[in-house]
Amino acid sequence: MKEANLIDFEKFKRGMELFLEPPDFSVGTTPSEIIFTEDKMKLIHYIPAVEKPYAVPVLVVYALVNRYYILDLQPDKSVIKKLLDEGFDVYIIDWGYPSGTDRYLTIDDYVNGYINNAVDKIKERSGLDTITLFGVCQGGTFSVMYAALHPEKIKNLVTLVSPVNFDTDKGLLHIWARSLDVDKIVDYYGIVPGDFLNAGFLLTDPFRLMIDKYVGLFEKIECETDDGQCELRNEETVKNFLRMEKWIFDSPDQAGETFRQFFKDCYQKNLLIKNKMVIGKTTVDLKKISMPLLNVMAEFDHLVPNEASKPLNDAVSSSDKEMLVFPTGHIGIFVGSRSQKDVCPRISEWLKPRSILNGEGEKRPIQTGKKRSERKRNSRTSRVNKK
Amino acid sequence: MEKSNFESTQEIFDMWLKTYEATFGRIVEMPAMGPTRERSEKMMKGFSLFAELSSTWMDSNVNFQSVFMEAMRRVREKTANEMEGEINPEKYKEFYRIWIETYSETFKEFLKSGHFASDMGKFMSYFMEFQKFNREMLEENYLKPMNLPTKTEIDEINKELYSLKKKVKELDRVIKELSLTNPSNKDEIL
Repeated sequence: MKEANLIDFEKFKRGMELFLEPPDFSVGTTPSEIIFTEDKMKLIHYIPAVEKPYAVPVLVVYALVNRYYILDLQPDKSVIKKLLDEGFDVYIIDWGYPSGTDRYLTIDDYVNGYINNAVDKIKERSGLDTITLFGVCQGGTFSVMYAALHPEKIKNLVTLVSPVNFDTDKGLLHIWARSLDVDKIVDYYGIVPGDFLNAGFLLTDPFRLMIDKYVGLFEKIECETDDGQCELRNEETVKNFLRMEKWIFDSPDQAGETFRQFFKDCYQKNLLIKNKMVIGKTTVDLKKISMPLLNVMAEFDHLVPNEASKPLNDAVSSSDKEMLVFPTGHIGIFVGSRSQKDVCPRISEWLKPRSILNGEGEKRPIQTGKKRSERKRNSRTSRVNKK
Repeated sequence: MEKSNFESTQEIFDMWLKTYEATFGRIVEMPAMGPTRERSEKMMKGFSLFAELSSTWMDSNVNFQSVFMEAMRRVREKTANEMEGEINPEKYKEFYRIWIETYSETFKEFLKSGHFASDMGKFMSYFMEFQKFNREMLEENYLKPMNLPTKTEIDEINKELYSLKKKVKELDRVIKELSLTNPSNKDEIL
């Protein structure tokens, strides 16, 4: 009994020692460069990992509610790195942290403004008329809207855990959203605090997310004195935990008018899937999506249930469309063990034949100018806050 | 679910609320008079907003308390069935596992219910209204007399800035389009 007690205390003590001198847990370390900025939005280009990447560039659009670097959390858990290694030319939008001046930004500004300008920039750099749009979570919903409004600019559409049908009782957020008076929230806050949304996410499973997660961390700490690798493993455990912890609570505030419209038109009225959602002055008609579509879901997604994503395939007019469901969760699909083993390879497998230009060979050299090695040397290693 | 002891607190609160509504609540809702009429009426609204907020808070709390009681009852039942014999640290771990699993499951059932969604919706609505009222009072009674900028004024500037930026972006786009369609006029257009 006494021994068991000592081991538990030792785990706690070792864990605390690591926290007192925390290891470097940088996130988003894949080499990249910022190629375009507009207000707080930055368009990031990752330095290709191969000499001749696939011709059609991939633009990743992440959600507004968290930071994009979950897709590049650490080198061995990076969707971005995997796509680069598979030979793709990858871009991503960093939405930044909205402040008071962004309060009045609407979905129109995000979709027809920022995303459209990012797409145009990539088109200009690549010299192509169309690119691949890869939307993730809420970014996937925005990508679907964009693809419907500007189909002539999109060659392939990939959506990853993206909701389009909001009329479901499977996810807690869908149930709660119906009862929220979003006007009062936006009218009071203006810019809706990230912490407000975080409180909602934590409430989906309060005991596991606010207690058990932290107990679990110390449970994982090892105390084998005769194993030389033990300290390294402990350090890795703490680093992995802190990276995820940083991402979870690194929540940007939300532009009020966008939040209002997203909640009312999507969560409360479910207009998108009904082809009744108006962005700017145009009604979004999902039938205008005729390009190849890959719709990827996580079977145990508690935030975006499959019922919210599946209807997309029936709503579009694409003849080339596929749906993939992986036995993982909403975050696991980016950073879980299956992500690198199954999810990314399957997406790449689908994307590769569709990223070839007709009659122009399989790949194109990366943009001329600096040599690749030089570009890599000069690029920023996008460490998003060292600690 | 078991009746929570907190319901007695709610009974007392309900009594207080009824008395308040019949007495003080009526006084604060009387039309104000005199030079400070407008300001006084606005300020008095705070009392009824607070009473409404407290009332929804009480409803949510009673429901939460009932779920806690139910979770506790389930833990008691499970531990009685699953844990026997001497208490040692391993047993504590087992107790923790049962506790966290039972509480998580019980609360998930509650959080999924329309009841919780509606309670939370009401509470948030009154809370936001009350906060907005407090800010307006702060602006009216402190910031404006001190000649300090208010959130309302900053929002107005932000809105103006947003419209201007949007207009500039639109003009930029038009200029770019024109210069593309007729490159010889580019300098003239710019």
